[in-house]
Amino acid sequence: MTELHSRTGVWHTLTSPLVHQNPVILQILGICSALAVTTSMATALTMSAALTVVLTLAAGLVSIIRGHIPETIRLIVQIVIVASLVIVIDQILQAFFAELSRALSVYVGLITTNCLVLGRTEAFARHNPPLPAMIDAFGNGLGYSLVLIVIGSLRELLGRGELLGFAVLPLADAGGWFTPLSLMLLAPSAFFLLGLLVWAVRTILIEQSEPEEHAPPPRQEVTR
Amino acid sequence: MSGGIWTRETVAMLLLACFLPMGASWVWYGGHLSVAFLVLMIVYGWQLLFLLARAQAPSLSGVITAFAVAMLAPEHIGPLRLALGVSFGVVMGELVFGGWGRNVVNPATVSLAFLGFGFPSFEWPAFDVPVAWAAIPAVALGCGLGVMSAGLALGASFVAIGASLLGALDGSVVIAAAIAFVLLVADPATAATTRFGAWAQGGLFVALLTLFHQAWTGAAPVQMAVAASLLTSLAVPLLDEATLAAWVALRRRRHGRT
Repeated sequence: MTELHSRTGVWHTLTSPLVHQNPVILQILGICSALAVTTSMATALTMSAALTVVLTLAAGLVSIIRGHIPETIRLIVQIVIVASLVIVIDQILQAFFAELSRALSVYVGLITTNCLVLGRTEAFARHNPPLPAMIDAFGNGLGYSLVLIVIGSLRELLGRGELLGFAVLPLADAGGWFTPLSLMLLAPSAFFLLGLLVWAVRTILIEQSEPEEHAPPPRQEVTR
Repeated sequence: MSGGIWTRETVAMLLLACFLPMGASWVWYGGHLSVAFLVLMIVYGWQLLFLLARAQAPSLSGVITAFAVAMLAPEHIGPLRLALGVSFGVVMGELVFGGWGRNVVNPATVSLAFLGFGFPSFEWPAFDVPVAWAAIPAVALGCGLGVMSAGLALGASFVAIGASLLGALDGSVVIAAAIAFVLLVADPATAATTRFGAWAQGGLFVALLTLFHQAWTGAAPVQMAVAASLLTSLAVPLLDEATLAAWVALRRRRHGRT
């Protein structure tokens, strides 16, 4: 019975950040990189993998030493851990995927300051044992990846007519019918797509929408 | 607009009346009514959808949007691309905010900017001079009926005259600017609401246009006018806010703390 309970708990920790508690579309965390690296699927996938690995390992490390981190310098300790992991990942990318690493430019390095990473280590890993902390971090990494992949695939498909570099839609230049929408490769389109995605998700899952800030005034006719 | 005959729809009807001379001359000099009709169907399709989904009342302003997009959109862009651009502009520029009157940017401006940035290979339209002349009765009617801001028109005119005297503006740019001014900038829902804000908005529109004309090589006059009206409409809330802040500061200096 306890085993069953803990198993559903683990499953819940892993899957709830995918849609219901998605870090990007519900908490609007980490959107800076989500907007910057989604011009193609390849960069979006690499960034997703890099962030998920860093996040999972950082959560595990922070969770292991959670009893020894002094409260006053905990942010410094967390950032040092995250930054060291990011440097390792960055070096690996530069060594084995040099082209992708150039395409991602500074954004791998900026995982250090990604609020999603610090948010999970600060809010969850600091108070939980290593395994749940890593599962939670992995789930959040997957939630972030899901959004990046959706936006990245849409931008690449509409902007170039390709997916992962393979032609999907026949281009008008080569006798097909599809004219690439070059706006999709510019930064504003990522904002539009993310906004539309948030809108769509909150229309389906109404509990995610925020309460209204003010009520509109009642309608009145002027009496003369 | 608090009751009686002055409702949102009255304003939309009066604006339409102002645009009629321009529309007539546009059709006379070879405008495509079929494009206008297509855009109209798309606009009202979305309005119907928002009526059903959100109980948002449809507005006659959709005709104005259709008219503006049909006149200024890049030529031979094809129905599919046009539908995409218009859908984006109408939904993201107007309907999500609650319909005409609550929007911050003109849906026609957003549609045209989307089409321009998204499909840069299509030619922008050029206008015959009489179409631009029709802008004068349109503005005069609008200001006389009280649906357009006179300060806005005067601010734009003064800067335009100054720039023309200095030789910084060209005839073709002035033609495109006059048409874009009437169709995109003067829309009362998105124009400045304070007096100084209106003057500044008109001036800013022409100043941006002059800047583009001087520094943006390879851009068509209509493209410059659309870009200038998009940037201007983004600056309008700032101009209004600055005017109000200055007014409050002035009162405070004159009358003390209350």
